[in-house]
Amino acid sequence: MDWIIGIIVLIVKLGLVLVGLLLLAAYLVWVERKFLARLQIRYGPNRAGKFGLLQPIADALKLMVKEDTVPEAADRILFLLAPAVVATSALLMFAVVPFGSHLTLWGKKIPLVITDLNVGLLYVFALSSLGVYGVALGGWASNSKYSLLGGIRGAAQMISYELALGLSLVPIVMHAGSFSIVDIVNAQAKYPFILLQPFAFVIFIVSAMAESKRIPFDLPEAENELGAGYHTEYSGMRFGLFFLGEYVHMQVLGAFVAVFFLGGWRGPLLPAPVWLFIKIILVALIMIWIRGTLPRLRYDQLMAVGWKVLIPAALLNIMVTGAILLI
Amino acid sequence: MAEALEAIKALATGFATTFKHLFRKPITEEYPEFKRTLPERTRARIILTRDPDGGERCVACYLCSAVCPVSCISMQSAEKEDGRRYATWFRINFARCIYCGLCEEACPTSAIQLTAMFETCERDILTLVYEKEDLLVDHGGKDKEYNFYKYAGVVTQEGGKGEHIKEDKPVNVKSNLP
Amino acid sequence: MSKLIIDDREIEVSPGTKVIEAAAQLGIMIPRFCYHPALGSVGACRVCAVKFIQGPFKGVQMSCMIDAQDGMVVSTTDEDVADFRRHVIEWLMLHHPHDCPVCDEGGHCLLQDMTVSGGHGIRRYLGKKRTYTDQFLGPLLQHEMNRCIHCYRCSRFYQEYSGYRDLGAMQSANRTYFGRFTDGILESPFSGNLSDICPTGVYTDKPSRYFGRRWDYQRSPSLCINCSLGCHTVASIKYREVKRQEARFSEPVNGYFICDRGRYGFFYSSLESRPRMARINGKQCTFNQAQHAMIEKLEEIKKNSGSAAIAAVGSLRSSLETLVMLAQLCQTKRWRDPACFIDSSQVQNVKTAISRLEPQLRVSLRDIERADFILAVGADPINEAPMLALAMRQAQRNGATIVVIDPRPVSLPFPFLYLPAAPMALSAYLGSLIKAVVNRGTADKMGDGARKFYDRIPEGKKLAEAQPPLSSEMLQSLQQSRRPIIVCGTEILSETVLSLSADFALLLQAAEKQAGLFYLMPGANAFAGGILSGEKDSFLQIIEQIEDGSIRALISVEADPFWWFDDRPRLERALDKIDLLVVLDYLDSQAAQRANIFIPTATFYESGGMLINQEGRVQVAPRALLGGIPISQAGGGDHPPRLYDVGIAGFDPKAAWLTLADLANGAAQEDEKALQQHLWKQISDLIPQLATFSSIDEIPQEGIVCSCGVNIDSRFSINWSAASNIRHDSGDDFDLIEVDWTFGTEELSSLSPCLWKLERKPCLVMHSGRAEIIGLTDVDLVEISTETGSLEAELRTADNMAPGILVLPRHRKLAWQIFTPGKIRIRKDQIRKKQ
Repeated sequence: MDWIIGIIVLIVKLGLVLVGLLLLAAYLVWVERKFLARLQIRYGPNRAGKFGLLQPIADALKLMVKEDTVPEAADRILFLLAPAVVATSALLMFAVVPFGSHLTLWGKKIPLVITDLNVGLLYVFALSSLGVYGVALGGWASNSKYSLLGGIRGAAQMISYELALGLSLVPIVMHAGSFSIVDIVNAQAKYPFILLQPFAFVIFIVSAMAESKRIPFDLPEAENELGAGYHTEYSGMRFGLFFLGEYVHMQVLGAFVAVFFLGGWRGPLLPAPVWLFIKIILVALIMIWIRGTLPRLRYDQLMAVGWKVLIPAALLNIMVTGAILLI
Repeated sequence: MAEALEAIKALATGFATTFKHLFRKPITEEYPEFKRTLPERTRARIILTRDPDGGERCVACYLCSAVCPVSCISMQSAEKEDGRRYATWFRINFARCIYCGLCEEACPTSAIQLTAMFETCERDILTLVYEKEDLLVDHGGKDKEYNFYKYAGVVTQEGGKGEHIKEDKPVNVKSNLP
Repeated sequence: MSKLIIDDREIEVSPGTKVIEAAAQLGIMIPRFCYHPALGSVGACRVCAVKFIQGPFKGVQMSCMIDAQDGMVVSTTDEDVADFRRHVIEWLMLHHPHDCPVCDEGGHCLLQDMTVSGGHGIRRYLGKKRTYTDQFLGPLLQHEMNRCIHCYRCSRFYQEYSGYRDLGAMQSANRTYFGRFTDGILESPFSGNLSDICPTGVYTDKPSRYFGRRWDYQRSPSLCINCSLGCHTVASIKYREVKRQEARFSEPVNGYFICDRGRYGFFYSSLESRPRMARINGKQCTFNQAQHAMIEKLEEIKKNSGSAAIAAVGSLRSSLETLVMLAQLCQTKRWRDPACFIDSSQVQNVKTAISRLEPQLRVSLRDIERADFILAVGADPINEAPMLALAMRQAQRNGATIVVIDPRPVSLPFPFLYLPAAPMALSAYLGSLIKAVVNRGTADKMGDGARKFYDRIPEGKKLAEAQPPLSSEMLQSLQQSRRPIIVCGTEILSETVLSLSADFALLLQAAEKQAGLFYLMPGANAFAGGILSGEKDSFLQIIEQIEDGSIRALISVEADPFWWFDDRPRLERALDKIDLLVVLDYLDSQAAQRANIFIPTATFYESGGMLINQEGRVQVAPRALLGGIPISQAGGGDHPPRLYDVGIAGFDPKAAWLTLADLANGAAQEDEKALQQHLWKQISDLIPQLATFSSIDEIPQEGIVCSCGVNIDSRFSINWSAASNIRHDSGDDFDLIEVDWTFGTEELSSLSPCLWKLERKPCLVMHSGRAEIIGLTDVDLVEISTETGSLEAELRTADNMAPGILVLPRHRKLAWQIFTPGKIRIRKDQIRKKQ
């Protein structure tokens, strides 16, 4: 009997998380457009519904009814597959994020996480690396020079920043003593790790933005150089999946910033999922603020920052943390 | 170290600027509710003007259609009983027009002019194909004075041979007087 | 040869070449207004100035006035000359009106180009402009003298080049005026060329007035099908209609000019009455329905009466493709051989002409300009092939003697010697000419046949009594000539005279002259029709067989027997008798209106194709337009239709040979390329000279002169006893000859509304002496009655013609088709004065 209830609970959790993620992704677009507009003294979307609140729905509808074109010379199968890879890998990452400690229903303890892997952190990195395939293959399969350049840039950039991203989290693992995300959150019961590891936080957030290909790291898309980079040739909902992937990625990264540095779902007064939500939105707003302020990096600058600054800094951070912990 | 400080300061200034913008009233002019007066030389919807005497200025010389980079102007010229050259039909496909204004520059009679009227959006693309009767207006547009036939030297109602501006009386070929 | 350097490039030119031409050979276009290669130099416009740096001349000089000489170093781009030209253009522009927007020349105006390229952008002259009043010059040209820059090209062309006098320069100095003394229609049938040669817009094309700019026209090379010369033209097409036609330079054929009949003879192609839909028994139907009906009906007739009961009529205005396809169709389907000619004498004349056009004899129109003696026998150049007259004028200007022997009153725009002779007497005339000019020894050189031929020539004395004698002046200049050319018409002569002319030319060659032979033929593609026809294949024969009931169906391909068959009632009876009349045509001809099944075809402009001119020159015209109803007609009002993509209205007609190919194959053929290749094989089998080319596209622009059908055995084979059997003019009756006029008698050009005003009033012409005898005077209205009907026309009398001749133009306004085909004799009691 237990396993049936377990499956039902799992399905409900999956459903809630998925719907929450997708809705949030859609409205994150609205938040981004609105917030960005205000940063630039504009109004942003304000025609569809009050304050443009129906804009995401209109956009989604539009994307769904648009013609799905496939270039004649494209590698058809890979071309059709690539957007799914991007969206799926981003969605799957959320499986290990805890959004509370647990609920007790009918005397049963239900953990508020889809799955508590003991190698949760590694799982996150594994999936994050998978996202590269979506970008690189999408760029290659389109058989267009802009797409190809975008794909190559995307692959190079994501692989480079993966390293810094991973290394920046080693001190966290050292503090928490576990790869399990739930354990990491629990380790921050007293104080969030941002206070212990401010450098790691900076390195993580920079690398995370590079991972999610956001301005100032949006070289794979680079509208003014490459059209739209790896998704130049995509249209309709297939383009929508790339878009969705990007915004889900943004949320996932927001969630991980919260989980690793801001104490996850922990917070006074409000219920746990709300705290997580607030933290995610806060990170997203900061990312948008950065987008609204900084220009795009040059490709060589991007690589230099990754390899010459972030990775050495992360390594140094590990050594210092290790030394302090030993002492 | 100083460089790093400089960089941080620069970044901080940038972030501060955008942050301050958050609290400013947006400068957007919201279009359908607010319409600003456009400059006279704005290049939008094309008209065919008339000379001060009310005659059609267009002589259907084909220069506008020749210069049009998107070939959206077509016409047919013909001769009126009084000798004026005019367009029997004149058609501009606004669905194709890019409002570059080259036609206005090419027009030797100031007939074709671009106006500031730019709201020409239609659901049926064929309604964007304007005929002469849609294009012809009853004023001179930007140039109120010019009347081509007063200078051209061809015989029309505006004057016979030697009756136009700056013209001598016709040569009498059958006289030997100097 | 003289060697000179122009703009640092060396060139060697023959002596007498002007510097401007030498530069042109290098591809350097020196600006010019008055200079024209055909008209020569006068140095009037001063714009072709170049700087002579070394050599016999120094400084700024006119390049059109100076012969290229050894050691010259010339600069066309020197600062001095550029400045000089800029000033000259500014002077020329002083009085030029501000009317380019309403001037039809704008866009291809030499003055406009030079003004812009010369850098004269803004007028500095602030004084009053000189003006002129314009003249009405007829329906072809619009006059606008204000624009004149006094280059004299028009008066030089009109008076010197073409020999007419009614347009020229008047007044003097700054007031020089080009025009007629009074308003009026220009007399010259070459006046249309004025619009081509005027460097600005003084003379502009009136029929296409205000229709379009040069850049809007689709300009396609084409060929003129209004006479047998095959002049090169440029067809200008806009909004799906041929709107203007200009001369296209062709070295061997027409040079720089064409006649007005050719220039304005294109209106048939876009007439509103032109049938664009197929018809079955007068009811419009789709192209496919008509084609199916045609195939079905022909099957039926074949089943009932055999395939020999089907006959076909070809046309001399059809392309070579159509004629070959028709011949092939008739052969494979075992129908009667197609007839392209009216009666057997016409076939035989054309076939004789073709067989005698030996390569060493035939000459091009260009060669005629270089001749120093031209003998025109039975040819009326201005009326039959106007460009021939222009070529003869050039020869005459260069000092040639022109002799015309013809029964008709012939007029030419230059002095010539004229011998009125009845058609029957022509061979005797030629005989005595041969005797007078060629001696027996020369004839002997040509072999036995020639000698026998020479010996059998009857004595000229017989002739001298009745006919005007050959003048000694004429004989002398023929004897002294180096390049004599015999021009021979095929319309009113007997084949004996045609043969004799060729023999004469051969003998002149034996006498060490560069003699040439030039035939005129009865239609644009008569040469091809002649090759493809048998000796007896004539329309008259078809009519006879319809009458005896052996022909039950007739297919007429672009031919209208009602236009050219002499006996209309007989034709109508015959057509009533047959079961099926199929007409393929692009004109709404009478035959088309009577047709049981009518299928529209494409005009020569729409199909393109090959023509063989009278010289045997195979020439190609590409397809100039796709077809379809012109925009001006499709719109039905103020503007063209406002429609989305619905195809082109009136796009059904296709080239006649394609319809014939469908008929041959029993179904519509999809693969036009394959058909074309197949046809090309047929054609190149027929004309051996084409075998070296793999497709029609490879034929050079000036054409390929073919010599198929040449038969050397027919040399010197005249039956003198028949030829010298001259019927003595009894004074009681007349030989009727049907003739062509420049305007009004040719089928296609007579559909051009702008030419109607140029047509002379149709009239019968008779010798004034004879008219007096039977009590008629000039301008009398007379009636000729025959067994089949009567004909009313004005009578004109002339002194300069053979007495026993009555000349009848096949004019469109004259219902002249009341005669029995063949030799027509009119008794004087058949001619009656009408009150």
